[in-house]
Amino acid sequence: MVSPRKQRWQQLQSVFEPGFKQMLLISVLLHLLLPILYYSPLFPKRAVEKPPVYKVNLVNKIVKNPQAGRPEAAPVKKKPVVKPKPKPKPKPAVKPKPIPVKPKAIPKPKPKPAPVKPKPVPKAEPVKKKPQPKPKPAVSKAQENTLQKRLEQIRANKQKQANEEARKARIAALKADALAESSNIKSPITDAPVGMADGKGDEAGVSAIAHVQEFIQQQWSFSKYQATGNPEAEVKMFYSAEGTLLHFKFIKKSGNSAFDESLLRAIAKSRQLNQPLPESMEFHIFFNLKDMLDRP
Amino acid sequence: MKYFKVSLFIIMTISLLCSTAFAARIEISAPGVQTIPLAMTHLIPMGVGSAQPAVAEEFQQVLQGDLELSGLFDLVDPASFLSDARKLGLRRTDIDFYQWRMLGAETLIKGGYSIAAGKVTIELRLFDVVSQRLLTGRRYMGKLTDVRKIAHTFADQILLSLTGEKGPFSTKIAYISKRTGHKELYLMDVDGYQPIRMTNHRSIVLNPDFSPTRKELIFTSYSKENPDLYRKEIYTGRESRLSLKQGLNIGGRYSPDGREIALTLSKDKNSEIYLIGTDGTIHKRLTNHYSIDVDPSWSPKGNKIAFVSDRRGNPNIFIVDIRTLEVTRLTYEGKYNATPAWSPKGGRIAFARMDNGIFNIFTIREDGTDERQLTFGKGSKEHPRWSPDGRFLIYSADLNGGEKSIWIMRADGTGAKRISAPGGNDSHPAWSGRW
Repeated sequence: MVSPRKQRWQQLQSVFEPGFKQMLLISVLLHLLLPILYYSPLFPKRAVEKPPVYKVNLVNKIVKNPQAGRPEAAPVKKKPVVKPKPKPKPKPAVKPKPIPVKPKAIPKPKPKPAPVKPKPVPKAEPVKKKPQPKPKPAVSKAQENTLQKRLEQIRANKQKQANEEARKARIAALKADALAESSNIKSPITDAPVGMADGKGDEAGVSAIAHVQEFIQQQWSFSKYQATGNPEAEVKMFYSAEGTLLHFKFIKKSGNSAFDESLLRAIAKSRQLNQPLPESMEFHIFFNLKDMLDRP
Repeated sequence: MKYFKVSLFIIMTISLLCSTAFAARIEISAPGVQTIPLAMTHLIPMGVGSAQPAVAEEFQQVLQGDLELSGLFDLVDPASFLSDARKLGLRRTDIDFYQWRMLGAETLIKGGYSIAAGKVTIELRLFDVVSQRLLTGRRYMGKLTDVRKIAHTFADQILLSLTGEKGPFSTKIAYISKRTGHKELYLMDVDGYQPIRMTNHRSIVLNPDFSPTRKELIFTSYSKENPDLYRKEIYTGRESRLSLKQGLNIGGRYSPDGREIALTLSKDKNSEIYLIGTDGTIHKRLTNHYSIDVDPSWSPKGNKIAFVSDRRGNPNIFIVDIRTLEVTRLTYEGKYNATPAWSPKGGRIAFARMDNGIFNIFTIREDGTDERQLTFGKGSKEHPRWSPDGRFLIYSADLNGGEKSIWIMRADGTGAKRISAPGGNDSHPAWSGRW
């Protein structure tokens, strides 16, 4: 007795063309081979383009092996991560201090009730009133009331002024405290290395490449109103160790004469770098307007 | 010996590979200075006794205005000029380029003028200070009244030399002004000078447009009660009615080849966009919808027309393909989008959008993406029109609470400045082609 499933399979097999199974096997193997090949080093994959990172050269000293300029990169080089530890300490020390400043300021309302005190002052008034009855015939009750009110106002104003002065004095004292505290604060990254964000070397300063890039960029003037399309050009520039341009060569011109002319001007202005290089160097420079034309 | 040759070859190949591999790769994706430092000296008298400082001053003022508007240049302060600025030398070898380099200039304009028998000769040079080359040079001759025109023409020449495309400064702007109490057609220079009244209809004149091929204008006038489309030859002053269908004959726009005119007709009781010939005969009906279709504007290729329609409720910009009559919607934002103007360079369409009761100028790509607002602040800004090179836009603005005036700005919305004189209530500007 053959099971109905097997029967169905046999029926299907009768429909298959001869050699179908082999073909199916080959197909499966090929499908398996495809991802293996894809992930093999035979087919290098294009790196995913990362968003641009803007680097600012704060120190223009050219070095061969720039060290990392980021604080987080420091522990990688110097394993005794002793310095980073104290870093957090000053931070909390600084932060909580400004906070208590506010609670100090809260007491402000307390002196405020003080001006309310003048209310009981009227108690003293009856004392005054007693001597006043003598000139009663001269001063009417209405006049008395106005006088009293006026006195109250003067007292209140005086109290207000006193409070204000006290408040100002407190603020000044707090400011002085804060200033004194801030002068004691030390930067948590004082020991952070100076160098390139992506530096891995052992010298403080900016890499020669970054320096040359910035120097040539500063010599290049071109207006966005001159631009048509997305011009791109490639230039090879050879510099001696003294920073003198030995020769240059356009590998690819943009085809936009205004753009190419502006590059020629930039190259002419970059004949002499403002600092020598660690060694004679060759630069393959790609000029384009990506960052300028992306702006609205 | 054989081994030596082989090893030498290998060493050389390796060293070559190493040397090429050592080239540091740098990408510079924006210039450090995004304007061109330009030094512009005053015109110096060329002949003895021909000095007229007023001529030199006027020339300087016009040329400087044009160059500043272009946004290309950063002018070097004349106060810092050294001795070379006072020398007439117009030849490359006569100029002390070192002085100009010291001032940071990369380009230099030098010129001289002479006046004889009421005629002025102005000789001008533009130099590249860095490469010490002559970029362009011209000698202009004309009447004393032509000094402004000469300055505009040389400004165009400078832009041609530095960008590869001529500037639009020697073109004309047509606009509607109420200076006489009636809305009449006027013509002026790009900087607003020399306004000339072109019509005297003592009625309402609207919507001018320049022919791209001939020195003539079309406009709508109510002088014969009905809003008819007129054509006017600029130099002869000859005028004729081009389209006088019953109802509206408004918003006429020449096709880029100047052979046809797109306009709004309401002869069938509903305003639709039509194409007519330059003899006024109807060639084609482009829209057929119960809604109101107005304000056509041609694409630079002449195969599409942008127009305003309220077929989806609020007035929005639509595009109709002239061949297939297929209509696509361009704008979706805003409650009131009007007066589209297609850039002569293609790519972008300028229009006015009303938000909170105020119109502002926007541009959008012809595929409906990348919408940008160009004008801000109080007062409505309407009727944008492009310069023939697509670098600038003109529009009318009522910043002073009611009185409209003509303004100019760069295509990115920067450098806006008023060009029409006050007191005219000026609107509906149109920019001529190359004059």
